[in-house]
Amino acid sequence: MVNIGFQIVHFVVTLLFFIFLVATNAVIMVYAERKVMAFMQDRVGPKYYGPFGALQSTYDVMKLLLKEIVRSRDTDNAIFSLAPMIFFAPVLTAFVMLPFSPFMTTSALGTGLLLYVALSSLDVIGVFMAGWGSNSKYSLIGGLRSAAQMISYELPLLLSLVGVVMLTSVVSHNGIGSISFTDIVSAQMHPWWLWFVLIQPLGLIIYYTCGLAETNRAPFDLPEAESELVAGYLTEYSGMQWAMFFLGEYGNMLIVSSVATVLFLGGWSGPGADLAFWHSTVTANPGGVFSVADLIFNVIAVFWFLVKVYFLQSIFIWVRTTLPRLRADQLMQYAWLILIPVTLVNILVTAALLLAVPQPYTLWVTGGVNFVMLIGYVLLLSRAIGASPKGTLPPWVQARQRALARNAKAALPPPPGTTAGQALPAGETETLAGSR
Amino acid sequence: MATVNEAPRYAESDEGFRTEEMILNMGPQHPSTHGVLRLVMTLEGETVVHCTPVIGYLHRGIEKILENRTYMAGIRYMDNSDYLSPMLNETAYAGAVEQLMGIEPPRRAQYLRLITNEMQRIASHLVAVGTYMLDLGAFTPILYAFRDREGLLELFEEVAGSRFNVNYMRVGGVLHDLPVGWLQRLEAWLDTFENSWKELDVLITGNEIFMKRTQGVGYIDPDQAVAFGMTGPILRASGVNFDLRVNRPYGAYRDIKVNPVVREDGDAFGRYMCRMYEMKESARLIREGMAALPGGPIGTRTPIALRPPRGETYFAIESSKGELGIYLISDGSEYPYRAKIRGPSFVNLQIVPELMRGHKMGDVVAILGSIDLVLGEVDR
Repeated sequence: MVNIGFQIVHFVVTLLFFIFLVATNAVIMVYAERKVMAFMQDRVGPKYYGPFGALQSTYDVMKLLLKEIVRSRDTDNAIFSLAPMIFFAPVLTAFVMLPFSPFMTTSALGTGLLLYVALSSLDVIGVFMAGWGSNSKYSLIGGLRSAAQMISYELPLLLSLVGVVMLTSVVSHNGIGSISFTDIVSAQMHPWWLWFVLIQPLGLIIYYTCGLAETNRAPFDLPEAESELVAGYLTEYSGMQWAMFFLGEYGNMLIVSSVATVLFLGGWSGPGADLAFWHSTVTANPGGVFSVADLIFNVIAVFWFLVKVYFLQSIFIWVRTTLPRLRADQLMQYAWLILIPVTLVNILVTAALLLAVPQPYTLWVTGGVNFVMLIGYVLLLSRAIGASPKGTLPPWVQARQRALARNAKAALPPPPGTTAGQALPAGETETLAGSR
Repeated sequence: MATVNEAPRYAESDEGFRTEEMILNMGPQHPSTHGVLRLVMTLEGETVVHCTPVIGYLHRGIEKILENRTYMAGIRYMDNSDYLSPMLNETAYAGAVEQLMGIEPPRRAQYLRLITNEMQRIASHLVAVGTYMLDLGAFTPILYAFRDREGLLELFEEVAGSRFNVNYMRVGGVLHDLPVGWLQRLEAWLDTFENSWKELDVLITGNEIFMKRTQGVGYIDPDQAVAFGMTGPILRASGVNFDLRVNRPYGAYRDIKVNPVVREDGDAFGRYMCRMYEMKESARLIREGMAALPGGPIGTRTPIALRPPRGETYFAIESSKGELGIYLISDGSEYPYRAKIRGPSFVNLQIVPELMRGHKMGDVVAILGSIDLVLGEVDR
């Protein structure tokens, strides 16, 4: 039974909600970021416009809207102007399949997860176009770094989600898994709270790490590394074009957090929303009737969803305040040598356990093993990063001390990352600095 | 000589592509060159093949200005040399003039110099560590560092009348005696500083990303460090135990013994650690200086017009960046015939191209920050 009037109302309400959300989220997050960072850094933050400076980001937006768009003479105009739009469009599109509540879903796509991954990889095109079209060296390096980074982190991002999809097949009553976001949320609250973070904590951690890299946030903000590349691919942009990238970045944060919420934190499930869902007082996919109970239920559901999303987004801020930036090659190393193997092992182990362990214990065992793997991953990380522990001398210094103790100065080993063993291009013969 | 305008060279890569070296001009207006240093880098991909520092964008002719000012008036211009450690600069200049004239400041003045110098060293190292972390992408430490430095600048304001360009040292002593309660406030600041030092240490030192970014980066061999004339924390981080406060003690350092911080790492991490622990050592020195602070006059009586005898002298102190030497020639008039500043930043800069070669582009800022240049002192 299709009620056309209801469908139209549904469409309009949801569309307005998403547009409103994307637009305000950036404003809210910029303000929140500045205030939270200020709190963590022992300072005040914005305070002049509005109560507690709450209107600061509004004024910033107004400034950006009024600002002249400056571009240098040598830019490739078509590419340069298209890039912000191409960066921003997938971000808006990605909201299509996010279930904020049973009602607040534009489209319960059966292939939601796949579409999300596809859309998130489209961003890199915009970034790369910006880097190339700017015709500036800093932008070019930023764009190249960004392309390498986003493509590399696409893989572990996707792989970390496979565990969740496998879990849905176990949880669902007919034994068929699903990559639809709506189904995944329902799976996590049926028949009791079974947020997948309890069974796949490693998946969440890796997904979140990759999300940081996908959104170019610290400590993976190399494409716009201020101290090296001025502003990376954003260097030549100004005014609203720049703001599009900015909006896109914050929209990306919102999407990464939303997807993490949907896949690992039970989506809109929470006290109140679950109760209504379990007792079937409301329909999960309203077809025509929409009662006051439905309305209250949906409001509660959206509330829980947003609480989780903003909790995750605040972790973005926390991470940014705490960590320094990785180097480009270390970033690649981390993706290819650590994250991808770990996610592959996670998939293998999860699959094997889901098949091997008999039904009543399946989830307990899988979850337990995954927690153990999470601890192992953290240990591996601190080991694999290879920094010598606090207080001990690095290996080459120890070697030098041993050599000095033997009084054999000729046998000094070259320290890592310095002159010896560095591949210089052919013909590079000079030995001392300053002159060629 | 100059590689600035040289055409890029072409090379054949392993895959048979014809690749081109890219010349990237970093600075003088760049967020992480600590002022107006310009680095012309030849990049092979992200690897630095060649790096040429171009200096002179902040040249104000301080040496020439000194020659056109009387000895006493020149002290103020030393503030602008290494603008992160004016107290130390002034001590060097005043000390050089005193050595030229053969006078010795009274003991109280010497102790006041020690206390203010060590405070300035802490302030300078705080900026060095904070901006270094900012270069590496961590935003928080610099604000913690500046919060603590603010307390020091307030104390400077009380004692000298100015936060930054203090103009506190005089030939034969210091300008003012301490205000009432200043020592208690300094004591209180030291207590808070020791806590916030731990805070900084916890925040930065054990961080795996930070260690990964700095360990093994910009390694300087002890021999190389000596050959390039490195001084200060860079030299001591390379395992060479040389500190002018110990090896050629001046002023109150003849009474109060310094335990120099020596690290064997030789890399950027070692230099960072060296600075961190030197701050601790400086705090200890301040406490000792305060405990042993003698009474008496704060300056010798000098004639209004200082006319040192004909001759020349070289006086060096251990500045926050290294050996800060002042070379003076007097022709017997009120003005120095020649005043030459041996700025540690300038000398330390010359190893930068050597260190950069072969490193990735991300390491450029990691190395540059660990050298802790102040362009005011490089260009003068």
